[in-house]
Amino acid sequence: MFKIITGNIKTGFRVYNDFSKIFYLPQNPYYPKGISVFDYLSSIFFSDNLKWFLSKDEKDKIEKVLSKVDLLDKEDICVENLSGGEIQKLNIGLGLLSGADLFLLDEPASNMDFINQLKILKMLKELTKKGITSVVVMHDINLALKYGDTFFGITTEHKILHQDGIKFFTSSNLKSIFDMNFEILESNGNIYVQSVD
Amino acid sequence: MKRLKTYNFVLNKKFFAFTLLVVIFFASLALCLFYRLDASNYEIILKFIRFPVVIRAIVSGATLALAGMFLQAISKNNLADPYLTGLSSGAGLGIVVSMLFFNSSHYSLFGFTGAILTAFLVIFLSGFSKFSITKLILIGLSVNLFVGSIISFFILTNPQKAYPMTLVLSGGFSSPDSSEKFLLLLFLAGIIICGVFTPILNLLRLDERIVFTSVAIRNKYNIIFVLISAFLTSISVYSIGILGFVGIICPLLSKLLFGCDARLLFFGNIISGSALLLLSTFISQNGIFPLQIPLGVVVAIVGVPFFVFFLLKEGRL
Repeated sequence: MFKIITGNIKTGFRVYNDFSKIFYLPQNPYYPKGISVFDYLSSIFFSDNLKWFLSKDEKDKIEKVLSKVDLLDKEDICVENLSGGEIQKLNIGLGLLSGADLFLLDEPASNMDFINQLKILKMLKELTKKGITSVVVMHDINLALKYGDTFFGITTEHKILHQDGIKFFTSSNLKSIFDMNFEILESNGNIYVQSVD
Repeated sequence: MKRLKTYNFVLNKKFFAFTLLVVIFFASLALCLFYRLDASNYEIILKFIRFPVVIRAIVSGATLALAGMFLQAISKNNLADPYLTGLSSGAGLGIVVSMLFFNSSHYSLFGFTGAILTAFLVIFLSGFSKFSITKLILIGLSVNLFVGSIISFFILTNPQKAYPMTLVLSGGFSSPDSSEKFLLLLFLAGIIICGVFTPILNLLRLDERIVFTSVAIRNKYNIIFVLISAFLTSISVYSIGILGFVGIICPLLSKLLFGCDARLLFFGNIISGSALLLLSTFISQNGIFPLQIPLGVVVAIVGVPFFVFFLLKEGRL
């Protein structure tokens, strides 16, 4: 679906959207060996206009984004020396620099420890308050229900379920999506999903 | 404070590497020009023998290194070679045709034309539906094999000219016939085109699946860069014939020395390519004095220790 929206795959349908720019982040993106964090982010400014040097304005923008994703003190470090969570934050910073207002993220919290998962999702949640819409593919149901606003699910019969808020998470919905039995636990106003064998 | 320190360190290392290359460049330039120079008629020797050789070495080294840099950057593969697009066999076919059918001694012009035509054929074929680097490599490989077998056919069916043809094809022209003025003009044009497009390579450092503005931009630049590198390689064919290895080793060496900022790599490749070829030219002409060692052999002998040393020292590519 991401590839259709971004135009990677041509279909008979025309996709209309109200967003000015789209940023799509795949899983485990490639980065060259030995590139520093600052240089990695600066790549995006060499896009269409043939210029040799970054302007002061663009350098300031990079510094600002780096401080937003908490990597300002690591800007001279090679990307391969960062942890998985930091690299993911760096890539989200790339999206911030691109000026896109729709982020399509393919499992941004995969392959990293729990704390980093929480940090990334928290950051994305804060971005939505600044007018950036994020569409995130998630496999962890509990994390999704904690940080998501609107939920979509594709059932085993290829029907699309859609619901705002945590009312989406009912045993019947989850059963039709995952073909497994789940129970919904509730404590202190928060709900949790647990599988039932 | 700490940040400033690391920055200075990085700058110093790159600066040192660059100075080293510049020193090698000028030392071998001076050696090539003035070593064992006869005092009586030095003007004629310089003008008609040594300057052309030096110009050829610089032009071919710089163009091969830059072409390799472009191809390695767009394919994100360190093994990409300037002759990837079937250029070497195209040049070979041009040479063979010139010797067989035209009885001409203008090998380099024919080689240049053959190389350019093959490159266009390969890019045209791989750009039909959707351009991709893998397709380009595979089509380049097939065209190389196809044209290579045509060359062998021509050689085998003309036994009386087989030896001179094999000699010319086996790398490097012993007496190039290309005109220096035209060569320098081509070189200048190539360098200016490269300089204009080099910063875009910085964009290509990102994963191509990351989408932010438009998908079309990247494909457009891929084709432009393949065209540029084909043009550069053809210039080097025009200048000294087919010479492998420089186009792989120089981009890798400068990547090890200068990091991955394309703007630095641009100058790094020009200087390292031309320095390597100047040094090799000098050794090939003066190593065992009355004999000339083939240039390709010397390039490997000089280049490999350098490259392996830095590879082991830096440990990453």
